[in-house]
Amino acid sequence: MTATSNDREQLRPGLWATVNDRYPGSMITKSDLVPLAGLEKPLAQSRLTFVSTAGVQPKGTLPFDVAHPVGDYSFRRVSSTAAPADLEIHQLKYPTAGANRDLNVIFPIDRLRELVEEGVIGGLTPDFFSFIGYNMDPERLERTLAEEIAEAVVADGAEAALLAPA
Amino acid sequence: MTEHAKPPRAVFVPFMMGHHFGVPFHRDLQRRIILEALDRLIQAEQSGDIHALPVTWAQARREGIAIERELGMRS
Repeated sequence: MTATSNDREQLRPGLWATVNDRYPGSMITKSDLVPLAGLEKPLAQSRLTFVSTAGVQPKGTLPFDVAHPVGDYSFRRVSSTAAPADLEIHQLKYPTAGANRDLNVIFPIDRLRELVEEGVIGGLTPDFFSFIGYNMDPERLERTLAEEIAEAVVADGAEAALLAPA
Repeated sequence: MTEHAKPPRAVFVPFMMGHHFGVPFHRDLQRRIILEALDRLIQAEQSGDIHALPVTWAQARREGIAIERELGMRS
């Protein structure tokens, strides 16, 4: 049996306070949990989308502004049929040594397509969604970027979403 | 971090930043992490569910190096 949040001690209990001291106001603070929404039909019949903070984007599209002091609050659509060779990363805040050799370590587009081909997942939305995780104004992030992606995900017919940080 | 962000369900992956789905060319591990995450859609009983992936970074790297050797990408 593996650990769950109920029986596992936090690995670095002081980390949150440390980050808040050094970058005041930059961390999202949640006082309540959102209600748990379940699948309306089996995963094998559901359409999945993928949302990532990895800064992955199609080659030739406007690069994320990785130098702006408060971040870049825009997102890019990445076709779920794209080849990894046609994608690139514009993000400086995490090590990309692995992703530069195999994008699937941070943006597992090949593995997700394989799971659809095997029938484990019903399908994928036409596009995945990508932005950069360096955004120092969490209130703005929630009000703009998060809302815009949520609306786009729903409009694209997603029935489940896999979200991954970088 | 994961606990403070209070996601409704999550898999905690104890890997290096930028490697949340594992190591290069380790297809089985990449696939497993996706499946562990999707499994929470079914298994999570209450909001705030955090499932810890029972794989260490050292183990993932060892396996990745072995795979690269098999593929002739590393001596």
